[in-house]
Amino acid sequence: MQQELIKMLEFLTQDLLANIWFFLWCVIWGVYFIVDSFSLGAGLITPFIASDKKQRIQIQKSVGPFWGGNEVWLILAAGGTFAAFPLVFSKMFTFLYLPMMLLLIGLIMRGISVEYLHKDDSPKIQNILMWGWFTGSLVISLVLGVAFANFFKGLAIADNLVYQGTLLGLFSPYALIGGLLFVLISATSGALWIKVKTEGPIGTKAGELAKKSSIVVLVLALVYLAYSFAGIANFTVNYSATPAFYVFPALAVITAILAVVFAKQEKTFLAFCCNLGVILFIVETGLASIYPYMLKSSIALEYGIDIYQGASSQLTLTVMLLGALVFVPLVIIYQLWAYTLFREKIRETETVDY
Amino acid sequence: MLELLYLSRLQFAITVAFHFLFVPLTLGLALLVAYMETAYYKTRDETWRKMADFWGRIFKINFAIGLVTGLAMTFQFGTNWGPYSEFMGDVFGSPLAVEALMAFFLEGTFFGAWIFLDRNRQKLKAFSMWMVALGTNISSLWIITANGFMQNPVGYELLPDGSKVIMTDFFALLTNSYVWYMLVHTLLSAYLLTAFVILGICAYQFLKRNDSEVFKRSFKIAVVIALVTAILLPVLGHGYAQYVTEIQPAKGAAMDAIWETGSSVPMYLIQVPDASTGSNSIELLGIPGLASFLYTGSFSGTITGLNQMPADEIPPVGMVFWNFKLMTMLGFLFIAEALAGLYLQKTGKLYKSDLYLKLMQWSIPLPFIAIIAGWNVAEIGRQPWIVYGLLKTESGISTVPTSEVLLSIVLITGFYLVLWALEYYLIKKTVVNAAGVD
Repeated sequence: MQQELIKMLEFLTQDLLANIWFFLWCVIWGVYFIVDSFSLGAGLITPFIASDKKQRIQIQKSVGPFWGGNEVWLILAAGGTFAAFPLVFSKMFTFLYLPMMLLLIGLIMRGISVEYLHKDDSPKIQNILMWGWFTGSLVISLVLGVAFANFFKGLAIADNLVYQGTLLGLFSPYALIGGLLFVLISATSGALWIKVKTEGPIGTKAGELAKKSSIVVLVLALVYLAYSFAGIANFTVNYSATPAFYVFPALAVITAILAVVFAKQEKTFLAFCCNLGVILFIVETGLASIYPYMLKSSIALEYGIDIYQGASSQLTLTVMLLGALVFVPLVIIYQLWAYTLFREKIRETETVDY
Repeated sequence: MLELLYLSRLQFAITVAFHFLFVPLTLGLALLVAYMETAYYKTRDETWRKMADFWGRIFKINFAIGLVTGLAMTFQFGTNWGPYSEFMGDVFGSPLAVEALMAFFLEGTFFGAWIFLDRNRQKLKAFSMWMVALGTNISSLWIITANGFMQNPVGYELLPDGSKVIMTDFFALLTNSYVWYMLVHTLLSAYLLTAFVILGICAYQFLKRNDSEVFKRSFKIAVVIALVTAILLPVLGHGYAQYVTEIQPAKGAAMDAIWETGSSVPMYLIQVPDASTGSNSIELLGIPGLASFLYTGSFSGTITGLNQMPADEIPPVGMVFWNFKLMTMLGFLFIAEALAGLYLQKTGKLYKSDLYLKLMQWSIPLPFIAIIAGWNVAEIGRQPWIVYGLLKTESGISTVPTSEVLLSIVLITGFYLVLWALEYYLIKKTVVNAAGVD
């Protein structure tokens, strides 16, 4: 059966599969950034807007049922890279050893803090965990923002995949703007989500915060995009070849403007969706610029790792494609179903037992 | 280079061992809590609800750590074992990606649903827990599929330049007999561990003279699971030992420190291996032919000794031997403890048997130790290979600055100690508080 199936799918050449998997890779990262943004954002703003335990519980309950399932998109992004582009996976993690360790610690800290936030009555422990949630969320969004800016800019990869970069070298102004942008988009996303999901003063406070932060996001997004197109080597190559790609940065700017407008008009859900659009389109703007490279080299383009060099065998890519075709729709269906399970707004009077 | 190798291995051992302290309890408790949730839905018997609440609370605390420490594993393949990932990616990557698609999403999504659904939606709550249990158990299949390839490579082709393995047959990966031995053995040991944790916590409650029906019923269920799994494990282990000797002769011989090739090999009740002389410094009370029987299925069977194998393909014999002895000895203790528990419970003497209750309370760490020891046998016994017969462990490590690996070991270990303290504190509090209230 396996042989017949493989024969049937022979028209999927390895090059075609490498392209399909690059596309899927871009989609998976996009989905991850969208779905985790509001749980990261909730962690980022909780210490500043929740005035007591009741309001913390409201925030926690608004993201509690979802964050775990959402984080799996990140695991899929990493696992998918491992499976479809092992060379890229290996080099990406080895070159960025310390940032990846930092990301790991951020993920552990965030996960434990969210889960344990109210498992103990001691206000001291709750306070520590609230700041753990904040710190974890900050580290995750900052490291990912900085890392992706570096991917778009290119890593210092010399001939024969020798990495010449330094830890300090990763923190260029461009990367710092990218990191800051991700932190702020996430915070805005979290604020708007809290406004959508809760009743009472906490929602009002979050809404006010989003009105201001969405403006900062718009400004930073414009700076970041301008910097990308004007100041990053080889960024415009694909855009000159395929002008249709300009739709990504254009949509990023449009959604950022709309997010500001809708937030001001208190059309919160629309503002939330537009803010998610900003993340998605900025990520895709960058990813469209590096194709066909997955690890772009800032020294010379030909030193980077492209999708053909990094891809797994035809059989592996085919098997995984079949797996993805079956399970990704299934995952999307039950994750959406989970959102409908908890669609009521969370009131301030609610108790907690989790 | 040597230092980097040992640091990378140490870091991997710490992260995987710590992760594996939480996973087995998650595997077993998920199924049991799902069962209790369903029983409550069907019968509306309040005891079932209280059981689901109590064990569910422990499950929640435990699950969170299992989840986050699992992330560390995925990361390490890239950060510390880059060349290994490149060598194995074509084969290893797909089970891992399918694991995320099939299992992690189920676990992650439905865990959130189960926690936040209230009892008015009991049917959905029970269903969600079954999905979590399904997810965790499927997850073990995929990770063992990947590990199975490292132990017994099948369905692959080595590139002529030896740089990597290419998958040629996906179903061969899944039907690898090593995978099925290991999967059943791992799941059984996870259920045994869960049963012993429950027995230990129940014993604590009985010692506190808490005669809540919650713990009486929990004990009744757990003692049966403990007995069945404790008996099945060595039965299965016997077949497994023969199989290991077939596919990895060095590991098989190291498990019983058999140095010289021979037939009718005895097994010694007291034995101390000494790798420096290539023999046992102490051999007492030999049972004729027993080792031959265990490893070949016949009392006169021939076993190849370690001294007849290439010296650079032999694992650290002492570590494999002592871990194996520790695991098997504990295995026999578990049978005895489960039998005693069942007898005391049937005769109604259980709640007054303070000695037995104390023993069971202090036995909680034992299955954890047994499981880590068993894992040590499987993984250390495979050395010096990281992928058996294909890639040596030393060729699998990333060349990153030793200082960075050292720093990350310190960071991770410190962090894990905090996590462990937190988990211990929260579970202990849950258990102690349950003694006062019903």
